[in-house]
Amino acid sequence: MSTATIGNAPVTSREARWERAVPVYGFPVVNGFFLALVAMTLVAFALTAYRELAGLGPVSGMNDAYGWGIWKTFNVMVLTGLGSGAFAVGIAAWLFKRKRLHALMRMALLTSFLAYACGLLLLGIDAGRPWNFYWIVFPWKWNMHSPLAEVAICMSIYAMIPLALENIPVVLERLWYFDSRLRPGVERMERGLHKFFPWIIAAAYLLPGMHQSSLGALMLLAGERVHPLWQTPFLPLLYLGAATFMSFGCVAGTTMLCCVVWKRVMDMEVLDEAARITAWLVFGWLGLRLLDILFRGALGTAFHADRFAGVFWLETVLISVGGWMLYRSVRNHDTRMMFLGYVLSSLGGMIYRFSPTTLAFRPNPESLYFPSTIEVLVALGFICMGVAAFLLVVKRFGILPAPIQEWHDMASYFRFRRPYIRWTGYFKYGFFGENEPTDSD
Amino acid sequence: MSKHPTIAEHLEASGVSRRSFLQLCSMLMVTAPVGLALTGKKSVLQVAEAIGKTKRPSVIWLHFQDCTGCTETLLRTSAPDVAHLILDVISLDYHETLMAASGAQAEAALRSAIADNAGKYVLVVEGAIPTRDNGVYMELGGRPAVQVVREVAAQAGAVIAIGSCASWGGVPSADPNPTGAVGVDYVVSGKPIVNLPGCPPNPYNLLALVLEYVTMGRLPELDEFNRPKFAYERVIHENCPRRAHFDAGRFAAAFGDEGHRKGWCLYKLGCKGPITHAACATRHFNEIPGVWPIGIGAPCVGCTEKGVVWRMGTFETVPIHLATPPDTYPPIYSAAGGIKVGAAALVGAVAGAVGGATWVASQRFQSSAEAGVTRVNVDREHAEKLKASAAKPIDKPVFKPVSTPDDKKED
Amino acid sequence: MAITRRELISTVAKAGVPAAVAMTVGAGSLHAETESIPIPSAAVGLLYDASICIGCKACVSACSEANDTPADTRGDALHQAPSDLNDLTRNIIKLYKPEDGSPSSFVKRQCMHCLDPACAAGCPFQALHKDPETGIVSWTAEECIGCRYCTITCPYHVPRFQWKGFNPRVTKCELCSQRLEKGLEPGCSSVCPTGAVIFGPRTVLLSEAKRRIKKNPGRYYQERVYGETDNGGTQCLYLSRVSFEKLGLPELGPESVPARTLRWQRRLYQYFALPALLYVGLVQVIRQRLKGHEQEAHEREKETGLRAQL
Repeated sequence: MSTATIGNAPVTSREARWERAVPVYGFPVVNGFFLALVAMTLVAFALTAYRELAGLGPVSGMNDAYGWGIWKTFNVMVLTGLGSGAFAVGIAAWLFKRKRLHALMRMALLTSFLAYACGLLLLGIDAGRPWNFYWIVFPWKWNMHSPLAEVAICMSIYAMIPLALENIPVVLERLWYFDSRLRPGVERMERGLHKFFPWIIAAAYLLPGMHQSSLGALMLLAGERVHPLWQTPFLPLLYLGAATFMSFGCVAGTTMLCCVVWKRVMDMEVLDEAARITAWLVFGWLGLRLLDILFRGALGTAFHADRFAGVFWLETVLISVGGWMLYRSVRNHDTRMMFLGYVLSSLGGMIYRFSPTTLAFRPNPESLYFPSTIEVLVALGFICMGVAAFLLVVKRFGILPAPIQEWHDMASYFRFRRPYIRWTGYFKYGFFGENEPTDSD
Repeated sequence: MSKHPTIAEHLEASGVSRRSFLQLCSMLMVTAPVGLALTGKKSVLQVAEAIGKTKRPSVIWLHFQDCTGCTETLLRTSAPDVAHLILDVISLDYHETLMAASGAQAEAALRSAIADNAGKYVLVVEGAIPTRDNGVYMELGGRPAVQVVREVAAQAGAVIAIGSCASWGGVPSADPNPTGAVGVDYVVSGKPIVNLPGCPPNPYNLLALVLEYVTMGRLPELDEFNRPKFAYERVIHENCPRRAHFDAGRFAAAFGDEGHRKGWCLYKLGCKGPITHAACATRHFNEIPGVWPIGIGAPCVGCTEKGVVWRMGTFETVPIHLATPPDTYPPIYSAAGGIKVGAAALVGAVAGAVGGATWVASQRFQSSAEAGVTRVNVDREHAEKLKASAAKPIDKPVFKPVSTPDDKKED
Repeated sequence: MAITRRELISTVAKAGVPAAVAMTVGAGSLHAETESIPIPSAAVGLLYDASICIGCKACVSACSEANDTPADTRGDALHQAPSDLNDLTRNIIKLYKPEDGSPSSFVKRQCMHCLDPACAAGCPFQALHKDPETGIVSWTAEECIGCRYCTITCPYHVPRFQWKGFNPRVTKCELCSQRLEKGLEPGCSSVCPTGAVIFGPRTVLLSEAKRRIKKNPGRYYQERVYGETDNGGTQCLYLSRVSFEKLGLPELGPESVPARTLRWQRRLYQYFALPALLYVGLVQVIRQRLKGHEQEAHEREKETGLRAQL
């Protein structure tokens, strides 16, 4: 028996149990919002071409003092933190046996892949001499002690191999239902994939664990130039910790948002579990952070009237209020509070991960960084690309968790509401194989 | 005294004092501190000795399209003695302004001067040579100027183009250049040609050049425009006495303003000093310190540069090549970066849009009472049928049965 | 009972993880140990004495001439007036002049050529590289990906990125190595009229600096050579009348930034042993978990008649 909500009123129903990932059907992929996202993406591509010709200076607000702009500090360092869902949810589900979280796994894998893919693309655009990236295939050229080498190498390997492979079953499933002639091949591939699954999944936990902490280690080398409220030997651990609760927020929050937008049922058993884990992650993280600041004796700087103290209190308050809201929401299944709790804690985590490179980075007292319009448009365009890809994939592949009933509803929907797809060569047996001739037909 | 006395002999005969001669030699050393073999000698005495032993160089001076300013600069020295002294050192065998003869007599003098020193004399050309319409715009004794200069140059030892007109055309060649005025090197070939541009040039450059040629038997090192490097290697800007004001950023903004009266840098009034190769800043005119354009508050017009004078606007400022550090210092921490209104507005708009959308979405968690109910129009009856029909066991499970061969072995 | 391959791996992993931890972390020696930084055999550098610098900036001109870089005239289009080190400026003279009229000082800024450079420690593909003999930290275009991490990590804020153009470069003082090869001095020290900056082997410079301190008691700030031990030691040394911090040379302590900050990082990734063993352990655990998961999925498949989703 599972608890679901209708509005804020929890209902208990076998029907609400999330058991199957079902595509979002009945909503067109191409709508005004989607077109706006695509337009933003195209604008970003055009501006990227200009950036490649003109260099970084004319298009960005980066300067000699602040060598890193939002492309790296936001799109890579912050958004891959949000996109660590495959890591955080996966570890909770596989290693800590939180079995119900498997329902969120496909959401986690997809958001992770998109966040990493967009981040990596922007990393390439941000690099001044990207053609030299080919050294990445020559291990003897790596500087093994460089956190940045670790990030660049781990991140690309992770996104291209384990994370991509983890997303393959969704595609294979689609192919399996798509046309019965593909099935033997698909099944062969699935069996092949199964053999390597432990190795793939283990890599998918080790690599992000390494590079998400190395993202924090990046700023260790900046030493005193990072404000003492942030600069600590525990920066890697705190970065990793922030990634875990942020990515839980991203996965669960996005799932909840999708449920609301596309009128899906919410399985409160799964959501409560996720919220509980997130709340404890937040509390643990906050405790570690505050203890660290206390023991380093940096707490005094939090009471100076400067921007650093402001940012510190902003993120601390956001994260703790978010954590508290999550904790409360579990008790009375308040989905709105839960959603806002995810938003606030993730926002606080994002600011935390953004701070050491930008807000709390003090290369010299006279300088300032604020992104330029083009820089913001490119960063935004690549986020829009991720969101557009998400909308497309969610509507064409089984990603969003749903009760079993939803699957049959979908098949029925396509059979009766979209009969014409039977005629097109592409959808030979219907969108999801539902028109395939069966024995009974 | 022979027909071709040495300089020392001639000076003695003319009653010039040894002291005056040594003064002249030291002026030469100042004029050409480097770049000449003659003035590179250790002392004035050695220079004087070398010059004294030399026979007076025969110089033929031709005028074409000119204003005679270059001759004037030779004659208008501050003390008349100096001009005389110069004319005592060189043997100016033909000079239309300075000689008494005219007409056929003058022509004859020219011919005899050529014949006497064929292959040895120095031809000094003053003024541009008109070439358009077969050179009809200037004729000497019925012959076009082009022909005259070619004839005289043919037997000269070296050709010196004095002044900007002779060097590349100068004023007569300014647009639209109606006479097709060109410099000597445009019409004469096969002879070493040295340009001494300037409007007017410093006469000591001419003297040093001629003496170098006759005493050492060779011409000094030239730059790409055939200007002797000893006088034209550096730009005026490098040795300008007002340079300190340039480095400190003190500029005269208008003629007669406070900065102009105080002797500040004339760069912003269009001074061409930074791109003009000449020694004016160190070798002033008329032997009087400070007598040169910038010294009297007039911006340099760049008269030694073909592409500058009469090509650029008088008050047009020029680019600085070889920029050097100013007389100011950056602070320990320099400012960098800034906020642009547009970018800030964009960031604000994005943050507002995302925040607003989140808030609106969060409200739908409350308001959508039907959330969780499939709204899409589905044939529920058929769906139920499908569900019932699907409930039969599938023949090919996704996962293999759990018992593995390994396990079997262990069993 | 025969030992299966799986069990073997699992056993090795279980025993290996603590062993690897001990091996890489180095039992008990985590906090106390300060790794000594090797000084290159022929370490050369500069000694800059701010107290005798007259701020003539001959070194600034000579630097751009020696390195064949155009003068940075972006300030007023008239002067070579960079406001700081930048993509055209490897060497600069700055002025510290407090408002209150207390002693002012010039300071020459260029790469310090740290004994343990943070820029090279962070550089992902070793584009910034410390020469093992001369200790000169130089940049090579072929390896640089333009990540600008060096501009973040350098505690002296020396490497600068070229912001314009599709083929940007990183600019920093390389002690005029091309001139050193020809037997010439670096551009800056070769033109200094007062001897405020001199070039030489680090040991010689250090003793000269100490000689000056001894000869002029009370003249120098803290009677100390900046760079002798600061940031683990640098090859460019400073003497000054006013505090080094005011001249933009931060007090970093005797331990180098990379040694201080990346100690854990370096230990954890040593030989890649710990991650590798962790990986093997993870594989073991996930294998077990997958077994249960497959079982459940299989049962659910039978129940619903729908293909299990991975």
